[in-house]
Amino acid sequence: MKKIVLLLTAIIVSCTSTSLYSQTIKSGEKFVFAGSYNMSGLLTHLAQVTMTTENLATSKNTYLHLSCELATFSKWDSFFKIRDIYESYVNPTTLKPSLYKRSIDEGGWTKMEKYAFKGNTVSSKSKRKNRPETQKTFSIGGSTQDVISMFYKVRTLDFSHYKEGQTLSLMIVFDEKEVPVTLKYMGKETINAGNLGKKECYKISIGAKTDALRGKDKNLIWLTADAQKIPALLKFSIPVGTGQLVLTSASGI
Amino acid sequence: MRKAILILAYIMTALALVFSIVPMDTLAFLPIGIALLCSLVVLKKSTDSNRKIPKILLTISVLCSIYVLGKMLLIKDEVAKDVQFEQHKVQENKAAKKELEEIEGLE
Repeated sequence: MKKIVLLLTAIIVSCTSTSLYSQTIKSGEKFVFAGSYNMSGLLTHLAQVTMTTENLATSKNTYLHLSCELATFSKWDSFFKIRDIYESYVNPTTLKPSLYKRSIDEGGWTKMEKYAFKGNTVSSKSKRKNRPETQKTFSIGGSTQDVISMFYKVRTLDFSHYKEGQTLSLMIVFDEKEVPVTLKYMGKETINAGNLGKKECYKISIGAKTDALRGKDKNLIWLTADAQKIPALLKFSIPVGTGQLVLTSASGI
Repeated sequence: MRKAILILAYIMTALALVFSIVPMDTLAFLPIGIALLCSLVVLKKSTDSNRKIPKILLTISVLCSIYVLGKMLLIKDEVAKDVQFEQHKVQENKAAKKELEEIEGLE
């Protein structure tokens, strides 16, 4: 009886997850974005953001390495050079993170973060420039993601059944604490998607109870309304201003 | 009033020049726009005998706007090859593999 209940539960869970998360992320994807920042009302081209996926094999497992790099255009390098990397090593099927790393170098200011996920426990290490390394261990929920894997998890969601205004709650780990994130489906819009041409996209608003994001419905992402759900445009509002990431090229999809 | 706007036109034209030379991208249009506006106002408020300076300021602003626009249209935004950054990424990847194996060992 116990086995039957377990089996039924497994079937229900797998059916639910199939309807919620309809797609897996492939290795070899590469998305390049042009990042612009709003300075005194003028959008200024500032940096290139590159998102890649590749497999990484250890002696026991194969992980999907999700990487997001931000590098300022060469014209800015002598003034304010930025080289940031956000990386997540996840299970290729479930996108559950095992390791998350953040390496920031913004005009000489550096910060390194490393989160090791072991079950529902996260061991974090953080090191800022000219400050001693700090370590922390904290508990998280079973479905909590890091910020990068959450982004890819969103791409696996099936928005075709969503109604305008429908929300979905997720949990992420950011700045060594769990942060609730709310996604709001805002309908469809046609957006220019770089080398892919004009595409019909799902417009999604991202809200998080963190100081990193500001405003209601000011952090938006447009995902192509097809199986790949490629991010075509991202608009963000952060404490120091607003900006956008425009997809310039998508390959390996 | 004319004098005050003329001083502002001087300052903005100087800023427009600086912003055009340094890679400020579209941000340079901010002082250029103000400089153009101030120069035009001063030019309108000037008599025939004292129109030389606002005309020079106006010309500089126009040249700056053409220069910035040309840079925007002709120079492609590129990320410089950064050997140090590339090495850092390779090292991080190697370290990640070790760290993942450590995590696997704890499970």
